[in-house]
Amino acid sequence: MASIKRFTRMEYKSADELVFGEAKYPVTYGLGQKAGAGHVIPEINFAPRPDAAKNPETLRREYVDYIAKDILDRAITLGFPRVQLENEHIWQMVNDPQKFEKPVVAGQKEIMEKYHDEYGIELSIRHTIADPRLCEKGLRPRMDKVHNYPEKVIESAEVAAENGADMLSIESMGGKEVSDYAIMNGDIKAWLFGIGYLGSLDMEWLWPQLVDICKKNKVIAGGDTNCAGANTSMFMAGGYLDKDVARTFAAVTRAIASARTLIAYEAGATGPGKDCGYEGPILKAISGRPEAQEGKGAQCAHADLMGNLMAHTCDLWSNESVEYHPEFGGSSVACWLGVIGYECALMTTAKQLGKDKVLRDLYMAADRFKSPEGFILCYDNAYQIGEAIVGEGNDIYLRSKAAGMKAAELIDASANSKGGIRLNKMEKDTLAKIIVDLESLPDNQDKFVDWALKTYKDIPMFNPRNYGL
Amino acid sequence: MIDTSNVNYEEVFRRYDIETEAKEKPEAVAAKILASVSDGKLKKVAEDVVFMNYKGVEEDVKAALEKTKPEDVIEKGLVKGMDVVSELYGRGIYYLPQVMVAAKAMELGIKTAESKMKGERELKGTVVMHVAEGDPHDIGKNIAAVLLRSNGYTVVDMGRDVPVDEVVKMVEEKKPQMVTGTALMTTTMSAFPTIAERLIEKGIEIPFVCAGGAVNRVFVESYPLGVYANKAVQGPVLASKAVEGWNYQKFRLKWDELVGAHGAK
Repeated sequence: MASIKRFTRMEYKSADELVFGEAKYPVTYGLGQKAGAGHVIPEINFAPRPDAAKNPETLRREYVDYIAKDILDRAITLGFPRVQLENEHIWQMVNDPQKFEKPVVAGQKEIMEKYHDEYGIELSIRHTIADPRLCEKGLRPRMDKVHNYPEKVIESAEVAAENGADMLSIESMGGKEVSDYAIMNGDIKAWLFGIGYLGSLDMEWLWPQLVDICKKNKVIAGGDTNCAGANTSMFMAGGYLDKDVARTFAAVTRAIASARTLIAYEAGATGPGKDCGYEGPILKAISGRPEAQEGKGAQCAHADLMGNLMAHTCDLWSNESVEYHPEFGGSSVACWLGVIGYECALMTTAKQLGKDKVLRDLYMAADRFKSPEGFILCYDNAYQIGEAIVGEGNDIYLRSKAAGMKAAELIDASANSKGGIRLNKMEKDTLAKIIVDLESLPDNQDKFVDWALKTYKDIPMFNPRNYGL
Repeated sequence: MIDTSNVNYEEVFRRYDIETEAKEKPEAVAAKILASVSDGKLKKVAEDVVFMNYKGVEEDVKAALEKTKPEDVIEKGLVKGMDVVSELYGRGIYYLPQVMVAAKAMELGIKTAESKMKGERELKGTVVMHVAEGDPHDIGKNIAAVLLRSNGYTVVDMGRDVPVDEVVKMVEEKKPQMVTGTALMTTTMSAFPTIAERLIEKGIEIPFVCAGGAVNRVFVESYPLGVYANKAVQGPVLASKAVEGWNYQKFRLKWDELVGAHGAK
C-alpha cells in the first residue's frame, strides 16, 4: 500500500512564486489535459435534479445526455480550448455503484471522447466519490453492519477508476462529529482534535487506498478537501449579516484544516486538489501541486467573502456546483461554464502577456481585508502558514496547532497595524480566546491526545475506535 | 507584492457588520430584562444561563429551590435567562456558541429542578426530527434541536440517514405536532415528498418542516404538508404555531410574516 511521506520543507522557495495557472509539478491526464502548465482550466461541477435518481437509466440520462452534452456544446460554442468536468457523486452512486455509478461514469467518458475526437478540445473528468460514512455506525471496514459504507466508498472508487474516471477525489468526513461540536461551541481546541488530529488519522487510513486504486487503473489521484468541516465553519461565519460563527474562528479552522488535507499529497495524490478546499493556496505553497479553487464563479452555490482572491493561485477555476435547470441563457451548467470559462480566458491571457503576477495581485488586493479567512489565504500569508506546518511536518498534532497559531498571529498583527484588517467585536474577542486556548495546549502529541480523549469523550457519536484509538 | 496602501477600501467594500454593531454589553441588556425578577436567587439562576455558567447552575438552582417551586425556578429563572439570550442573539451581541453553551446551562438547571418535581414537567409539544436518507449532514438539525429543547419542546431526534419508513413509523408512534426533515443535497431531499405522501395515507396531516442546503421554498411547497424553513432559529416559532394547530396551508399563507421578510430571521 502507498506509504505516507511527510512534507518537512516548502516546495516553493518564496511566496512570490505562487501564481495561478502554474504549478511546480504540473499533471498530465485525461484527453490531452495538463493542469498547472501555463493556463487555467474551467472545472464545471453539477448536481442532478431531485427526481433524476429514480432509477439508473434516468440518472445516466440526466448526467450524460443532458448535463455533459450541454457542457460540451457550450464549450465548443464559446471556443474554450479545454474543460474539466467534475461529478460529485450522489448517495445512490456510492450505495449501489454497479447499478447507479458505472453507467454514468462510462457514459460521460464516451461522450467526452466523441467531442475530443471531433474538435480536439482538451477534456478530463474528476469523479469525487461520495463519503456517506457515519461515525455512529463505524468509519472503518466491518464496523458498519447496517450500510457497509466504509466498504462501499472503496468499491465506488474502484468502479469509477475502472470505468472512465480521469481523476479521483473525495470530500472525506473524518472528525466531523467533533468539528461540528467545535463550531457549535466555539471551541478551537475541539477543532484541533477533530480535524487536526482525528481528521488526519482518517485521511491516513483512506488516502493510501485511493492512491493504490488510482495507480492500478492509471488514474490521477486528485486530492481531498475539508469541505465537511472548514466549509461548514466558513459558511456559518458567512457575510456581514451573519452572526453565528466569528469569522476569525473560521479563519483559524481553515488553517488547521490545511494540515489535514495535505495528507492526500503525502499519501501520493498529485493534485489538482479539490475546488471547495479553500485551504488550496496553503497546500500549493507547501506541495507545489496544482489546485482547483472557486470564488466569484461559484455564486450559484456559495456566497463567500473572497470571490476574487481565490483565483489568485488556482490552476482550475470552478463553479462549485449547480443544479441542472433552465436559465434564460441556456441550461445552468452551460451558463456557469461561460462564467468560469471567461475568467480562465482572462487569467490565461494574462499569463501569455507576462502580466499574470499583476492580475494575481489585483485579485488578492481586492479581497485582502474583506475577511480574516481571505486574509490568511493571501499568498504571502498562505506561504507563512505553510512554513509553520512543514516546520513541524512529522507530527500531525504539532503542525496543525502551528498552522492555527500562525493564522491567529497573522490576523492579530494585521488588526493591530495601521491600514490592516478590521475586526468586529466578536471577531476580536474570539481571536483573543483562540490564542489563549492554543497557547494553553501541550507541546506533545501524546499528552494532547490523552487530554482530548478525556475532555471530549461525551461528544455525541464520537467513538475513538473509528480512528484506530 | 503590490502596494495596497493607496487603496481606499471604502470604495471596494464596506464592513456593514462593524458599522451597525450593537454597542450595548450583555450585562446591560440582561439587567434591563431581568429587572422584574425580584428574588435574588432566581435572578442568579437566570444570570447563570445568560452568562453561560454551566458549572455553577446546578448549585444555584438547588439554592433557589429552597424557597421556590421547581416549576417557577424553571419558568421565572431558567427560561427568563434564555429569553435574554434570545434577545442578545437576535441583536448580534451573542453568536451561536454563546447560545449553545447557555442552552447547556439551562438544560442542566432544568434537570436539577425536574428532579424535585412530583410529576413530569409539562412541555409545549413534541417535534420529530430527522436528516434524509443518504445524507450525513446534520449540524443544522442539531442546532435546531437545541433551540427547540431550550424553548420547551420535546424533541425526538432520529439522527441522520434515516429511511422514509422509519420516519413515518416514528411519527405514528410519537404523535408529534410537527415533523422536520433536513437535507444538503438535491437527490436526498427527494425523500421528503414520499414521506409527506405516506403520512397523508395514514391520515396524519401535521406540518412537515423541511430545510437544508439545497432545499428551497418552491420545492417544499410542491408537496402536501411541506413548510419551508431557511434557518434553525425559526424552529421554535414554527413549532409554537404547529402546537396552536396551524395546518400546512395556513403556514404557507402566513409564511412571509412568520419567518419571511417580516418574521423571525
